[in-house]
Amino acid sequence: MIVKNCMKRNVISIDEKTTLREAAVILVKKHIGLLPVVDRDDHPVGVIGLNDLLKLELPDFVNFVTDVDFVHDFGAVEDIRPSAKTLNKNIKSFMRPVITVEEDCGLLRAYALMLQQNLHDMPVISKDAKLVGITSRVDVGVAILSTWSKVE
Amino acid sequence: MSVFIVILSSVIFFGSLALIFSERINRSIVAIFGSVLMIGTGKIFGFYSEEAAIQAIDFNTLGLLLGMMILVAMLEPTGFFEYLAVLAARASKGKPIRLFVLLGIITTILSMFLDNVTTVVLIAPVTILISEILGVNALPYLVAEALLSNTGGVATLVGDPPNVLIGSAAGLSFNDFLIYSLPVVLISWLGAFILLQRLFKKELSKRPRRSKAVMKLNPAETLNHPETARRILIVLGGAILFFFIHHLLHIEPSFVALSAAAIALIWVQPDIQEVLKKVEWSVLLFFGSLFIMVGGLEHSKALDMVVVLFANGSEISPVVFGILVIWIVAALSAVVDNVPITIALIPVIKGLGETGMDIGPLWWALAFGAGFGGSGTIIGSSANIIVTTLSEKTRTPITSALWMKRGLPVMLVTCAIASILYAIAYRWM
Repeated sequence: MIVKNCMKRNVISIDEKTTLREAAVILVKKHIGLLPVVDRDDHPVGVIGLNDLLKLELPDFVNFVTDVDFVHDFGAVEDIRPSAKTLNKNIKSFMRPVITVEEDCGLLRAYALMLQQNLHDMPVISKDAKLVGITSRVDVGVAILSTWSKVE
Repeated sequence: MSVFIVILSSVIFFGSLALIFSERINRSIVAIFGSVLMIGTGKIFGFYSEEAAIQAIDFNTLGLLLGMMILVAMLEPTGFFEYLAVLAARASKGKPIRLFVLLGIITTILSMFLDNVTTVVLIAPVTILISEILGVNALPYLVAEALLSNTGGVATLVGDPPNVLIGSAAGLSFNDFLIYSLPVVLISWLGAFILLQRLFKKELSKRPRRSKAVMKLNPAETLNHPETARRILIVLGGAILFFFIHHLLHIEPSFVALSAAAIALIWVQPDIQEVLKKVEWSVLLFFGSLFIMVGGLEHSKALDMVVVLFANGSEISPVVFGILVIWIVAALSAVVDNVPITIALIPVIKGLGETGMDIGPLWWALAFGAGFGGSGTIIGSSANIIVTTLSEKTRTPITSALWMKRGLPVMLVTCAIASILYAIAYRWM
């Protein structure tokens, strides 16, 4: 089996002109965690995920204090919101480089890629590098497991 | 020939220093290369040898630093430092000025017995945490912690690397530091503290948005290994006790520190690889290599020339000379690392002693200058560099401009207080 058989085809993506605020609205409306960013020819140029947006709200101390168990109330930081200026910025300054997989890639290779790059979702591209779908650890993992039932 | 040798060894030494201060290459790498170059050149031209180089290394300093580093490396993962900071936060009840006082005092006391860098590395992150949940700016607290740990570290033999160097070279005991340095530091510290409180008045008078959140911080939960913390603190306490009487027992402070480290290791039996990873070997190598380089400089008689130069200057009154030493060393320490300065000046002061000058007070002038000078600039001490780098990863970074307005005045005030007290107390030193 290859990735093509276990990916979602109706992938929701955004173009490079999208603002941070618009990206957030799409994530909320579609209830998804990752948005591929594509250029005019549908080539993926980056991704933006929940984590990238939430990073803007997280207090600085979570980067320095490894164990925050003893902090039972985040106090003032609970109501930090990004400024309107930040929200109106172009998505380009927040997106991360995209790691893609070709649609004819084997499942174990795709799974190993996600594991090593610490990805939960991965955009799938065609031979001519166009975005054709998106797959996840669950999609690929379950597809691999489904072959176990055929083991005699 | 002798002038040639002097020039050669000086070029190696000052060339290495210049490279270290330029920060283009890591300081330990430069020092290791410089020391090897010094020995090699010394052997070719017959002024230095491997044996002389080994003798030039002050193993007292290295042993004391190593012992304390091992103890701190074991104490660090227990969460004891976070524990203290959280206690302070709760005791402050979320009032900025109280928090400022408490964190300042904790940082000072810790840095009197432990390395300043460690103290600040461990207290600063919790400080950022506390300020964020309070909804106040962390800058005043971070800047004050660095400056007060610079100041507090001067008080004891083990508080600051320059003190360890001076104590070992001049044969000063832990108690000598308590008698001669601690009172000066106490008054200077108070001066620095009052000044900081005034300079940060605007920030500290702002009411925090959520003062109740700090009361929900649970100190007990910060202690990951309470039993380990208890054992290491007992050993550390014992070590401090023995520091008080080391000269009566005729044992070196380095032996006290290494014994404490050995006892703590056998009592706690931590993962030794993890502990040794936290020991700053690059610092120890840096010190060792500097000793070797300065030894070469000494053997080439280059330092004798400096001594002659200084001895001529000693026609001015000894009190004024000492105060000049405070300010010159402070100015140097503000812009460059105070360890190489101290290591280079120690043989010069010893040389002055051989010309018949009373150098007892000069050791203190060197300690005050090297210690207080570090507050002057953003790169003046390792503690300053650490709070700055940490703050650069937050939403409110510390800038050089801010340091000029907050740190430099502290350096000037502490040096001024030290100079006045030096002049007053000169005849008893």
